Amino acid sequence: MPDPINTTNSIAAPPAISAKHVNFAFGEGDLQKQILFDVTMEVAAGEIVLLTGPSGSGKTTLLTLIGALRKVRDGELTVLNRPLHTASLEELVEVRREIGFIFQQHNLLPFMTARQNVQLMFHLHPEVTAEEAARLTEELLTNVGLGDRLDYHPARLSGGQKQRVAIARALAASPKLILADEPTAALDSQSGRDVVNLLQELARNRGCPILMVTHDPRILDVADRIINMEDGRVHSANVTSDVIGSIGQDFRVPRA
Amino acid sequence: MSSAFFVAWCQLSYHRVKLAVAAAGVVVAVMLMLVQLGIRQGALDNSVAVARRVTADLVVVSPRTKTIFASAQFPRRLLYRLGSNPEVVAISEMYMGQGRLRNPWNKLEFPVSLYGLDPGAKMMRLPGVERFEEELHDMDRLLFDGLSRSNYGPVKKYLSDHDSIDVEVNLRKVRLIDSIDVGISINTDGNLFTTPANFRRLVPDRKPGSVDLGLIRLKPDSDPIKVRDSLRQYVGTEAKIVTRDELVAAEIVFIRENAPIDFIFGMGAAIGFFIGFVVVYQILYTEVTNHLPQYATLKAMGFNDRYLLMVVLNQSVILALLGYFPGFVLALGLYRIATRAIQMQFSMTAERAISVFLLTVIMCGLSAMIAIRKVRTADPADVF
Repeated sequence: MPDPINTTNSIAAPPAISAKHVNFAFGEGDLQKQILFDVTMEVAAGEIVLLTGPSGSGKTTLLTLIGALRKVRDGELTVLNRPLHTASLEELVEVRREIGFIFQQHNLLPFMTARQNVQLMFHLHPEVTAEEAARLTEELLTNVGLGDRLDYHPARLSGGQKQRVAIARALAASPKLILADEPTAALDSQSGRDVVNLLQELARNRGCPILMVTHDPRILDVADRIINMEDGRVHSANVTSDVIGSIGQDFRVPRA
Repeated sequence: MSSAFFVAWCQLSYHRVKLAVAAAGVVVAVMLMLVQLGIRQGALDNSVAVARRVTADLVVVSPRTKTIFASAQFPRRLLYRLGSNPEVVAISEMYMGQGRLRNPWNKLEFPVSLYGLDPGAKMMRLPGVERFEEELHDMDRLLFDGLSRSNYGPVKKYLSDHDSIDVEVNLRKVRLIDSIDVGISINTDGNLFTTPANFRRLVPDRKPGSVDLGLIRLKPDSDPIKVRDSLRQYVGTEAKIVTRDELVAAEIVFIRENAPIDFIFGMGAAIGFFIGFVVVYQILYTEVTNHLPQYATLKAMGFNDRYLLMVVLNQSVILALLGYFPGFVLALGLYRIATRAIQMQFSMTAERAISVFLLTVIMCGLSAMIAIRKVRTADPADVF
């Protein structure tokens, strides 16, 4: 593995994500619907940041912009020191290769085994030799607790196991940033908890910043910081304790 | 192994039944193309078999005729002039006509082509004919084409067990002294070879002075084209002089224009191509459509469009390979059946095997190209 990013929040380290006055709208002309209004936020290196807010508040849109999946048209967005607002499509694809994505749906290729799904990511990084890729793949899957399911197709894995394969895949090529969109939404509480713990642990070990969209109040405690969005605006970007206090009450669910 | 190829193989082989169906579609396409093109070639080859057997350097034909199978005659006296050219070594005449050979077993008459030429002149390559040179000069002695259709009865088999067989041709009793293998065509069901004298006995209304072909042997080092041009003045407009190659070429053109071989079999091959194209397209398109979210995910993770296009293209190549070889073997079997059923020789040529292979790859590639357009619609931003 290449050197992990330094986890200490030194003041000199540039932020992993820096958005300044980002506006975003879908559609054209009369049908135009603005989704993001003047969004300004930062995620520092090594930080775990949760993005919360009611549905339709623009969380996912912001995530796709940060993930270089959509072009920024208005405002400045710098991710991993690359200005996305001026990037070409090729440059956007370059940025994507440095990001580990975890989706609500695992989206594993159903026709490939867990091992093959993870190993596929190394094809984007020809500098990693085949032997090294094979070794790292096994290590990653073992780390997420699937050492005994290496050659299972996704159809034979449970929801939680599939999501863990997806996490191993996201981590495969040593990403410099992890973007997750409700990774626990399709999981029961125990699997969800496991997945989040795993993410937290892996992120801490590698010092990789995580930006996670979530509605799930059960996992708010892993965050260093919570950004709350409403109607396309950053509502509050408070420190953890405050937000857990307020949102935790709003979203409180009975726990067994 | 390339990464895109590996993904393509995993995707195709995951559903074995689907893969078998897709490959079967290609098998049918390959088989149809090979068989149709093979029969087309076989029909053409067999039809010019007689023309191809001509070994004379130059051939004199009537200007009224397009094919030696329906030849018009020209005056024999023209041939006597041609000997004045010092390059000409030998001149021989050839008569051709239609007769009716009566099947000695079921007593039914069937049309047959008659050829009258001097077997000693060596203007045609008729394997084994030298052995019968003397005998053919006897009255009413003929050679039977062993590749003739079975209409005439098991003549060849009978001749292999017996010295000769007496049959009726044009109401005249003749003796078939042996069989030699030459080849029949769409135009003719069987051939009989004999001398000009015996020919005229069978076709009594043919004037000896009107011949169908003049066969000219030149000195070994002479240029047929130059001699042809210099000989033309001797025959004027009454006859035409062509080289051996021109004769064969003209026959091929005639067959193609007059028998709808190219159209019928070309269409069969095209239908095969189309079937394969549609089947492969269907399979690839559903594969792409069913996996659109996964493809979009790959894009989100940094795989570019080109990579995904290669995945689909590789799938089409795999299908082409999986379909071609069984299709090839099936086609060989069908050639054998067709050879027996149509009684013409059909065989596989390397050229056809390669060109149909390329057609198969193109067929699958085209399907992939169209299915690929769907890949571009996989929007990574939709995955979230």
